[in-house]
Amino acid sequence: MRRTRLFRLGVPLAAGALALCACGSRDKGASASGTSATTTVTIGFDAPLSKDLAAVGLGMKNAAELAVNQANKNHTVPGVTFKLAAKDDQATPTIGQQNAAAFAADDDVVGVVGAYNSSVSAAMQSTLHQAGIVQISGANTNPALTRGADYKSAPKRQFDNYFRVITTDDVQAPVAAEYFYQDLGIKKVAAVDDKKVYGAGLVKEFTEAFTALGGKVVVHQSINPDESDYASVVGTVKSSGAQGVYYGGEYPQAGALKKQLVAAGFDGPLGGGDAVKDDAVIPLAGTKAADGIYTTSDGRPVEDLASAKSFISAYKAAGYDEPYGVFGAYTYDATNALIQAVKAAADTGAPAAKELRPKVVKAMGSVTFTGATGQVGFDEYGDSVNKVISINTVKNGAWQDGIKVFTK
Amino acid sequence: MTATELTQLLADGLILGSMYGLIAVGYTMVYGILQIINFAHGEIYMLGGFGALFVYAWVPGLRAIPLWAALPVLLVVAVAVSVAAATGAERFAYRPLRGAPRLAPLISAIGLSLFLQQVVFNFFTLPGSSMGVTAPVPFPQFETAPLDLAGVQVSVAGLLTLALAAFGMVALTWFVRRTRTGRAMQATAQDPATARLMGIDTDRIIVIAFAIGAALAAVACVTQGLRLGTVSYNMGFITGLKGFTAAVLGGIGNIQGAMAGGVVLGLAESLASGALPHIDALAMFSGSVWKDVWAFVILIVVLLIRPQGLFGERVADRA
Amino acid sequence: MNKHLTAAGAALALISPFLAWTWTPLYPGDLTLYGYPGGSQLVTLVCALTATALLAAPRLAPAGAVRALRAASLAALTTTWVTVVAIAVDLGGVVNLEPGAWLAAGSTALLAVGAHRLPDDTLDPPRPVPRLPRWAEVLVITAVFVLAMYVLTYGITTGSPEEFLAFLPAALFLGRALTVSGLGAALGALTARNRTATAVAALAAALVFPFTQSDGQYTAIADNILIFAAVALGLNIVVGLVGLLDLGYVAFLGTGAYTAALVSGSSFSTLDIGPLPFWATALLGMAVSLVAGIVIGAPTLRLHGDYLAIVTLGFGEIFRITVNNLDGSSGPSLTNGPNGINSVPDINVLGFDFGAEHHILGVEFGRFANYYLLLLAVIALVVFLYSRVGDSRIGRAWIALREDEKAATAMGIEGFRFKLLAFAMGASLAGLAGTVMAHLQTNAVPDNYKFADTAPPNSAFLLAAVVLGGMGTVSGPLVGAALLYLIPAKFEFFSKYQMMLFGLALVVMMIYRPEGLIPDRKRQLEFHEEAVTT
Repeated sequence: MRRTRLFRLGVPLAAGALALCACGSRDKGASASGTSATTTVTIGFDAPLSKDLAAVGLGMKNAAELAVNQANKNHTVPGVTFKLAAKDDQATPTIGQQNAAAFAADDDVVGVVGAYNSSVSAAMQSTLHQAGIVQISGANTNPALTRGADYKSAPKRQFDNYFRVITTDDVQAPVAAEYFYQDLGIKKVAAVDDKKVYGAGLVKEFTEAFTALGGKVVVHQSINPDESDYASVVGTVKSSGAQGVYYGGEYPQAGALKKQLVAAGFDGPLGGGDAVKDDAVIPLAGTKAADGIYTTSDGRPVEDLASAKSFISAYKAAGYDEPYGVFGAYTYDATNALIQAVKAAADTGAPAAKELRPKVVKAMGSVTFTGATGQVGFDEYGDSVNKVISINTVKNGAWQDGIKVFTK
Repeated sequence: MTATELTQLLADGLILGSMYGLIAVGYTMVYGILQIINFAHGEIYMLGGFGALFVYAWVPGLRAIPLWAALPVLLVVAVAVSVAAATGAERFAYRPLRGAPRLAPLISAIGLSLFLQQVVFNFFTLPGSSMGVTAPVPFPQFETAPLDLAGVQVSVAGLLTLALAAFGMVALTWFVRRTRTGRAMQATAQDPATARLMGIDTDRIIVIAFAIGAALAAVACVTQGLRLGTVSYNMGFITGLKGFTAAVLGGIGNIQGAMAGGVVLGLAESLASGALPHIDALAMFSGSVWKDVWAFVILIVVLLIRPQGLFGERVADRA
Repeated sequence: MNKHLTAAGAALALISPFLAWTWTPLYPGDLTLYGYPGGSQLVTLVCALTATALLAAPRLAPAGAVRALRAASLAALTTTWVTVVAIAVDLGGVVNLEPGAWLAAGSTALLAVGAHRLPDDTLDPPRPVPRLPRWAEVLVITAVFVLAMYVLTYGITTGSPEEFLAFLPAALFLGRALTVSGLGAALGALTARNRTATAVAALAAALVFPFTQSDGQYTAIADNILIFAAVALGLNIVVGLVGLLDLGYVAFLGTGAYTAALVSGSSFSTLDIGPLPFWATALLGMAVSLVAGIVIGAPTLRLHGDYLAIVTLGFGEIFRITVNNLDGSSGPSLTNGPNGINSVPDINVLGFDFGAEHHILGVEFGRFANYYLLLLAVIALVVFLYSRVGDSRIGRAWIALREDEKAATAMGIEGFRFKLLAFAMGASLAGLAGTVMAHLQTNAVPDNYKFADTAPPNSAFLLAAVVLGGMGTVSGPLVGAALLYLIPAKFEFFSKYQMMLFGLALVVMMIYRPEGLIPDRKRQLEFHEEAVTT
C-alpha cells in the first residue's frame, strides 16, 4: 500500500520537474557587460606550467601577465582591455595542440603567446594558422619553425601567423664560436649536448661556425639530462686534448658538468646558450668551479638598457613567487609586441577580437619598439631582427654580464 | 686508447657498478622471498639522498663541522628515511596484495613509484627556496682534490662508495649466514609455507628484507650525491631500473650475485660509453646516450642464454 | 519512517535545482535563476530524478532497488556538495550561497541518510526481466547508447573544472546504481542478444558527437581520447587476454607515428618517399609495428611474467633513446633526433582533404571533426578484430594461457606461438593508431613516447587505462581511456599534484578494486574468492 501512495506522489513530482525545465528563460546576453565603452580581448598564453619546467613556465606567465597589466593600466590601446588566458601544455605537443584548438574556438582570443618547447609550437602552428590567430613565442629557438627544413639553403616562410622575439640558434651559437676562437684563443673544443631540441641545435650551429673559423671540434658527446653522472663524457673530453667545452643544454646539467670537469682536473672554459645563464648554475657547479662559464644572451646587458631595468624593477614590484628566469624578458617583449600589433590593428575600427585576428597577423610584421631584450621587430620570416648578442661569464662566484657585446 | 684511459674507464665502471650492486641487493632480497619486483625501490633509494640533504640543509650545526664528521649523521638519517618508506610501502601497498595475481603488486608498485617521486617533487623544501624541487639540487661535497693513482683519477667519494659497498656486503653476508634471523630469511625464501610451520614469523622476515634493501639503497644514494654533486627527484627511475638489471644479471635471489651483477653492469656501461667509440664499426652507437641501450641489450642476452643469471641458481617458480 | 524521510529528501532535492544557488553569474553555468536549472544544477536534478524513480517504482530494479537508491543518493549528495562547496570557495565565503543551495545541500543529505537507513532488499537471483519484442529491444539499445554518448559529451564539454568535478562523482555513482540495480546485467543480456544492433547503435551514437560541436575545441580532445582508447584496446589484447605485462607498449604507437611521418612527404622527412596514399601509410605503419612486435617479442616472450615486464620497459626506453639519437650526429640519420619530423601534411583520401573544412548535412566539419570520423573507423576496426579474435579458438587459447600456462601447454596449446601472435597483433593495432596520430598532431617527436608522463599516451597511462577500465573487456579500456584522458585535461589547476594522485590512485585501486570499473566476469572471480554478486 505504502509503495503505491509514494508512487502517486512521485510521478507528478517528476513530471512537474520535467515541465519546469521547459519554462523560464536563459538568455546568455543578459549578463554580459555590453554597456561600457571598452572591449575586452583575450591574449592566450601557452607554456608548461607544471612538472619539471614549471619554474620556467610560471616565470614566463608572470612576465606576460605583467605586460598585460601594464597595458591595461596605461591604456596602451584605447578602448581595449586585455585579459590573459594561461594554459598549461605540460611540454607535450598533444596538449599544446588541444590548447590551440581551445584558443581558436574562443572568439575573444586575439593572439597567442607561446609555447616554450619548439615541438609544442610545431604542433600548435597549423591549428592557429587555420583560425588566423597570430602566435608569438619568446622561447622557441629552432630555426626550422620559421624558415622550414632547409633553413640555410632554401629558407621558406612556414606560417604567416608565427613570430618570435628570441634569436635563433644560428645567430647565438656562431657568436659563441667567434668569442671562443678569437677572444679566448681556443682552437680545439669539445662539443657536448643534452640531446634535446635546444641543446642539439645550438651545438650543431656552433660546430659549423667554429669549423668555418678554422677551429676544430675534436669530440662531440651527448649526455642524458635525466642522469647526473657524466664521468664518461668528462673522461672523453679530457683525453681529447680540447682546450674548452661548448655545452648545448640547460643550466642544471651545465652546472653539474662543469663541476665534474673541474673535479677531474679539466680547467678550460665552458660555453653555453642563454638557458645556462641562471643564478642557480653557480651553486650547482660549486662557487669555485663555476668560474669560467661563458654564456651568450640576446640584447645588451641589463645595465646598459633602461627598458630592461624597468622590466626587472616592475617584475620585482609585482611580487611574483617565481623568478622571471631565462625567458621572462622575452615573453614580456612577445606579449608587448602582440599588444602593439593589436593597437595598430584596432586603429582602423571596431575591435571585436574575431575581426581583429587577421588584422593583427598583418600588423605584427611591422611592429617595432625597444623592449626588455633590446630592439623588437620582425624580418620577412617572422624572426627577430634583434641581432645584438652579449657575452656573460662567471667570475669569483658571480655573473658578470656583457663583457663583450656583438652586433650581427 | 691508452692503458691509463682504459684503467680509468674500469675504475669508473667499478665505482658505478658497486653503487648499482647496493641497489640490486634490495631487489634481489624482496624478489627472493616474495617473487615481486619492488618497482618503487628506485624511489626508496632517492628518498635516502633527499633525507640526508634535508638534515644537512636544515640543521645548522652540521654545516659548521667538516663534511666527513657530518657524514655519519647523514648516512644514519638517509637510512632511517629509506627504511621508513620501504616498510611503510610494504605494510600499506604490498601486504594487502599477498596472494593476489602477480600483476596486482607490480601495478601497485608503479603507482607507488610515481607517488613517491611526486611527493619529493612537490613538497621537498630547502631553506630560502619555494616548496618543491624541479631541477637537480646541489648535494654537499668533499673539497679534497681527486687522488691520482698512476694517472687514474679517483675521487674521495668514489673510494667511499667502494668502501661502503664492500663493508655492506660483508656485513650482509655475515647477517644472512650466521644470525638466527638471517637463517630464518633463507628458510622463508626457500619455502614460506614450511617456514611458517617451523615457527618463523614470515611477516617480520619480509619487513626485515625490505628494510635491509632500503638501508643499502640509502647508502648508495648518499655516495652518489657525494660523487656527482646533485640529487634530483627523478634519479631513482633509471637507476632503479639498472639496479634491477644488475640483480637479474647476477641471478635474482642471490645476494652476492647482485653485487657481482652490479659490477658487471657498471663496467659494461663505462666501456660502452668510453671504449666503444674506438671500435669503428660500433662508433655510431657509442657514447653515454647509447649506454642504457647497451645495458638493456646485455640484460636481454643474459636472460636468453642464462635465465638463471650469471652467478645464480634459478629460483623455484612458485607462481 | 525512513521511507518518508527519503521521499522528503528526494522531493526537496528535486525542487532545489529550480531555485537560485548563488547571486552572481560569475560561477560557471550561471546558477542565479529561479525556475530554470543550469550548469551543475542539471546534474543534481538528474540524480534526484533517478532517486525518485527508484523510490517510486522499485520494480524498475530487477535486483532490488535499495542499493541502487543508495548509490543514486550518494550521486546526488556528492555532486551537490561539490558544487555548493565550490561556490563558497570560488566566490570567497558561504555568504555567496542563496537559500536554494542550502536547500540542495540539506535535502541531498537527508536523501542519503534516509536511503542508507532503508532495509536492504537485494534479490538473489534477480527478478527475471520480461522479454520485449525485437524492435523494442533495438530501440532500448539505441536509447541507452544515445544516453551514454550524451553523458560523455557533457563530460567532455564541461567548460570549467568545477562543473567537471561535480559531474564525475555523479557519473560514477549513477553507474554503480545501474550495476547494483541489476539493470546493467539486463542490458548486458539485451546487447548480447542483439549484437549487430548494438554495434550499429554504438557507432551511430558516436557519429552524432561531431554534429553537436560547432568548433574544434572539444573535438580535439575527443580525437585524442580515441587514439588513446585504440592503443589501450590493443594493449588489452596483450595484458587483458594473454596476461603478458607490457610496460613499453607506447613504443609501437611511436613506431607507427614515425613510419607515417617518414613517408608523408614532409620536408623534414629524411626519406625521399611519398606522400603515399593513406591506405598505404596505414598498412605500412601496421607492418613496421608488427615487425617491431615480432622482433621484440620473439626473444622475450619465452621469459617469465615479471622479467617480461622489465624487458618490455627496457625496450620502450630503447625506442625513445633510439629515435632521439638517429639524427646523423650520434647515430645514423633517420628521425632528426630530438627535433622529430615536423610539418606532416594532412591526410587526403580520394580528394577528401582532412585538413580542410567540409559541410556534411549542413553541419560544418573542421579538421578535428574529420579526424574524428577517421579515428572512429579505426576504433571500429580494433573493436571488431578484438571481439572476433577474442571469441575464436585463438582467443580461448589466450585466456587459457593467462589462467594457467602449464595446464594450457599440457593441453597442447603452443604457448610461445600464441603469445607472439597476440604481441604482434597488439603492436600492429597500436601502429595503426600511430599513423593517424602523426597526421593529426602534424609531427612525430620522441617526447611523446615516454614510460610515464602527466599526459597520455604513455606506457604507464595506457596500462592504467586497461587496469582501471577492466582487463579483458572491450568497454573497460574505452571507459578507462576516456576517464584518464579527461581527468588530467579538465583539472589543469590540479596539474601540480596530478601525477602524485595518479600514483596513489593506482595503489588504492589495486587494493580495493583490482578488477577495474567494468570487470570481466572471469577476472572478477579471480580477484574475489567470495561469490560475485554484481
